[in-house]
Amino acid sequence: MTCRFVYSAASAPSDMAVDITLLFKASVKTVKTRNKAIGVNVDSVKDEIFKKSRPKSGFSLRAKEVITNITKLKDFLLQHRKDYVSAGSLISTDLSRMTDSERDQIDQDAQTFMRTCSEAIKQLRSEVEKQATSAQIKEHRVAVLDLVDMYLRGVCKLYSEQRAIRVKRMVDKKRLSRLAPEHPGKVKKTAAEEPAEEKVVKEESPEKNMSEVQDSSLNLWEEGRVEDELSPEEIQMFEQENQKLVSEMNNLVDEVRQIEGKVVEISRLQEIFAEKVLQQETDIDNIHQLVVGATENVKEGNEDIREAIKNNAGFRVWILFFLVMCSFSLLFLDWYDG
Amino acid sequence: MATSVREKQTVALKRMLNFNTPPLKNAAAEPVWKVLIYDRFGQDIISPLLSVKELRDMGITLHLLLHSDRDPIPDVPAIYFLMPTEENIDRICQDLRSQLYESYFLNFISAISRSKLEDIASAALAANAVSQVTKVFDQYLNFITLEDDMFILCHQNKELISYHAINRADIQDTDMEAIMDTIVDSLFCFFVTLGAVPIIRCPRGNAAEMVAVKLDKKLRENLRDARNSLFTGDSMTAGQFSFQRPLLVLADRNMDMATPLHHTWTYQALIHDVLDFHLNRVMMEEGGGTDPSHAGARPKKKTKKTYDLTAADKFWQKHKGSPFPEVAESVQEELDAYRAQEDEVKRLKSIMGLDGEDEGAISMLSDNTAKLTSAVSSLPELLEKKRLIDLHTNVATAVLDHIKSRKLDVYFEYEEKLMSKSTIDKSLLDVIGDPDAGTPEDKMRLFLIYYITAQQVPSESDLEQYRKALLDADCDLSPLNYIKQWKAFTKMASGPANYGNSGVKPMGLFSRVMNTGSQFVMEGVKNLGLKQHNLPVTRIVDNLMEMKSQPETDDYRYFDPKMLRGSESSIPRNKNPFQEAIVFVVGGGNYIEYQNLVDYAKSKPGRKVVYGCSELFNAAQFMKQLSQLGQK
Repeated sequence: MTCRFVYSAASAPSDMAVDITLLFKASVKTVKTRNKAIGVNVDSVKDEIFKKSRPKSGFSLRAKEVITNITKLKDFLLQHRKDYVSAGSLISTDLSRMTDSERDQIDQDAQTFMRTCSEAIKQLRSEVEKQATSAQIKEHRVAVLDLVDMYLRGVCKLYSEQRAIRVKRMVDKKRLSRLAPEHPGKVKKTAAEEPAEEKVVKEESPEKNMSEVQDSSLNLWEEGRVEDELSPEEIQMFEQENQKLVSEMNNLVDEVRQIEGKVVEISRLQEIFAEKVLQQETDIDNIHQLVVGATENVKEGNEDIREAIKNNAGFRVWILFFLVMCSFSLLFLDWYDG
Repeated sequence: MATSVREKQTVALKRMLNFNTPPLKNAAAEPVWKVLIYDRFGQDIISPLLSVKELRDMGITLHLLLHSDRDPIPDVPAIYFLMPTEENIDRICQDLRSQLYESYFLNFISAISRSKLEDIASAALAANAVSQVTKVFDQYLNFITLEDDMFILCHQNKELISYHAINRADIQDTDMEAIMDTIVDSLFCFFVTLGAVPIIRCPRGNAAEMVAVKLDKKLRENLRDARNSLFTGDSMTAGQFSFQRPLLVLADRNMDMATPLHHTWTYQALIHDVLDFHLNRVMMEEGGGTDPSHAGARPKKKTKKTYDLTAADKFWQKHKGSPFPEVAESVQEELDAYRAQEDEVKRLKSIMGLDGEDEGAISMLSDNTAKLTSAVSSLPELLEKKRLIDLHTNVATAVLDHIKSRKLDVYFEYEEKLMSKSTIDKSLLDVIGDPDAGTPEDKMRLFLIYYITAQQVPSESDLEQYRKALLDADCDLSPLNYIKQWKAFTKMASGPANYGNSGVKPMGLFSRVMNTGSQFVMEGVKNLGLKQHNLPVTRIVDNLMEMKSQPETDDYRYFDPKMLRGSESSIPRNKNPFQEAIVFVVGGGNYIEYQNLVDYAKSKPGRKVVYGCSELFNAAQFMKQLSQLGQK
């Protein structure tokens, strides 16, 4: 006696398939009651308790562990992404700002984490190679590791994007901040532009350094004026030297930042090239094998040809001998007859 | 239908592969791995839509046939996608008993019956695996979508519903019922996936009518059953508010027998005709076929190559309907464009080499780095383009070889003239007697087309002449018997089909020799263009869509499953022209009709026409069926 169970045909509007799981469970109940009625021995209850303890292979547990780690990293990166990338406006509170040291810390941690994850994946891969399981299971495991690898690469991309944005922002800010004039005489202008600069580049420490340096130069200059011991020429000279030093430092810092950006790009390219080279490695190995085989074959061919020549020669000798013998025998017979 | 049938089916498959939850758009989501098990039907459905790489991206690590030896993989969920036949159910029960996987998601391509469900239930109970069977679904995906607007019913057991099976003389009622049920089941699944209830029109007195009656009944039953209806909520919230319902035109192969035998000139149809082309996959032999081998050398092995012609291949999408000379030209153009890009990249390399020594300008370095990055990132695209160009070059060369050896262009021209009833300059006997123009099959096809399109049956003496000529050319004459019967029958029923009246104008009879740099030397092959002309099926669709009143379509029957009373009247209630039509040919179809419909839809903006058939055959296969029928 089957009751009519109401089951939902389509929950989502675009769901064309019909979920008949409940219908299936109803049929299970039907069969159970039928079996009981017939008297078939079904000892399901006991086994169900023990059934749950099916051995979960170590492989899948470990793979799942790696995945949870990568997810943790991803969540961590996404959480701090806003702070990491933020440019900081005038009204931003100090709480959301990150110092550079914090950013560097995040970079370091993320990198070590990614390294450990990729190490774990490599280890799992080598284990799969060594284990002697059936071909299907091996293929499955290799594919699982590929999926995990791709996931890790996706998360690494997140990280490198963030970092590239940060570096680019710093370079741009550096370029903006070079609006500072370098003439020592125009002190008033310097003083006027200082607060303007500070507004623009509040976050970055080099800028802070520069403003500090300009501050100190201003102070020195003021002190010099008060003291009145140093002559104006000497003051001017000192000013010039200071300015030169400051601009040199700025240049260096600028270049360093640019180089850093370039290095990030180059590392990305490097990765691509390394991939390609590894791919070519297998091809080259194949070619090597083929070439070795080909030389072997050629050597054997040479041997065969030599033997054939020898046989040919020997054969000829025998033919010659036979003909000579025949002719002698003919002569002999002829002489005998005659 | 803003999204095509193919997209709908792909979305349904992807959802199924994601454990029947809608797939998340999250870029870096955690991978969940699973195993996909299918039978041959499932394989045919999935293979034109999803590539192996896409399956991998969705987390499928292994995809296996149901009836192969499978090893237990203990902690992986398995998704099954198969037809609910007896042997499949048995195999599932066996799998449950041997506890191969951790959890089972069973998806049946068409609806499963209650008794079979109980079989699985009892096996699951016996194996204590009931909790492992996590979900059971009826997917209603029992059709194969080949293109955005083309579908066929099945590929595996197509002999069961072939033209031969439907029209053979010794068919029994039960067989016919079974065939009709299969066809109706697939059409029903098609409309469920589409999410629309069509208005059905069909001619009288043949297999198409039977299919229409059954389909109407099935749709009606399903709509009445309000609780389990598969159509509620779909057409409303599907996103595209198509207020118009589509029109389903059921046609029968017997209406137009000449088109499947016709020699063709468009790219896709030629590939289907001449090469081995199934489910968007071309299989060719390559290797030292044409080189003369000198004595003593080992004969070069012929390698078999398969190519997939997919929707992602832009060249294919653009040119699959163009006439062959255009295709050859376009391949050449693509090749030139690719070479230009390659040179660009090489030039970049030399620039890099030169400027590496210049130290001062950081800005130039940054520019070069940017250029290098862009070049490197565009390399995969270039490689992909090269692969596609190689593919099409190989395929087109193979087709061209066939054309040249069998002189298919001559046949094409002649048949076009026959079908359009324009004057013919060469007599049929000449063409048949010509020893190096085509295989015996080609000649037989030509003669059959002549016979079908002739206004009156040729006299006995003529027939004898033709018969002798054909026998001299080694042709098999059994299809002729069947065609004679068919002609007599259709003459009784209605007038002979009219094939439209425009001909083919050969664009210059001079041979088209391309420059020596190219690989296509089409000497001696006429450069024929195609003029627009409508095949019978296209004309019928046109009439019905626009509600024109024509003698051939006036007495078509009219079914509307949504109407409360099943009316027998053939008066259509809807007076507006239809915007969407689905044409289904019972008994088999081919790419020539499909191409014709595509051209027709392009000429009328805002029209969408989807083409379907119970099986897809090329002329060779059709001839085989005809000869089987003629031998009875």
